[in-house]
Amino acid sequence: MATGAARPGVILSPAVQRLAALPILAVIATHRDDGSIQLNPIWFELRDGYVVVNSNTRRAWPRNLQRQKKATLLLVDPDKAAERYAQIHGRLVAVTPDPNVEVINRLSRRYTGKPFRELEPGEERITFTIEPVRVTGQMI
Amino acid sequence: MAVQLSTKMQEFVKEVFPAIIGTTRKDGSVEEVPVWFEFAGGFFWINGGTNRGWFKHLERDPRITLLLVDPKNMWRWSQVLGRMVKWEEDQGGEHINHLSHRYLSKDYQGPRTGRIKVQIEPVRISGAIDGDWGR
Repeated sequence: MATGAARPGVILSPAVQRLAALPILAVIATHRDDGSIQLNPIWFELRDGYVVVNSNTRRAWPRNLQRQKKATLLLVDPDKAAERYAQIHGRLVAVTPDPNVEVINRLSRRYTGKPFRELEPGEERITFTIEPVRVTGQMI
Repeated sequence: MAVQLSTKMQEFVKEVFPAIIGTTRKDGSVEEVPVWFEFAGGFFWINGGTNRGWFKHLERDPRITLLLVDPKNMWRWSQVLGRMVKWEEDQGGEHINHLSHRYLSKDYQGPRTGRIKVQIEPVRISGAIDGDWGR
């Protein structure tokens, strides 16, 4: 997935692509088992039109995402917080182990300029590829 | 049942940045939008027009989650799982004007009619402010 061969369901507008190019956090929304809503700030990158995120296997949102196969991601313009934002409804299309921490290191450099911290004992990183299927919000 | 905020959280919610709220749409997906908020009297308060999607969602399912992230430091964040207790008309736009002063230090410039204020009780709190990353 995201090899360049496949194309995502929705092509993000230039305005959303410009926003996504900034090292801003996305807020990923999933549902918990009991139907309540889980919101987490996360690192992300756009690759070939897909949203790529990474986590460790112990946290709640990756478990929710793998169960539901879908998520909402919110990107907020840091200069116009409550006025300019894009909401991406996405579908989980690939789950890829990241044993060499290649993806999380790339994300870490994007946000902090440095490689990711040392993994904790037993920590396993995993990469999720999310296909945008609908984009709403207040962006152009 | 409402939970108490920790001392650190009580300080954090005084800081001025929008919250991200999540509500559940009819199709089961989550709607996320940034909104102004305040924490007062043990509850979170937000404000909007009755035509807002998130308000319609809350009338169907009162569960709402607020995410607070320091825009200057991404490691400072908190997730508040909550529930709409009630909503009431924002008469004369007094509450939105109050929020405008919290965020912009000036009177609210938009229309002050047709607005409501929504009371949210915190049910569960997690996140880095309280030293909890996983849940």
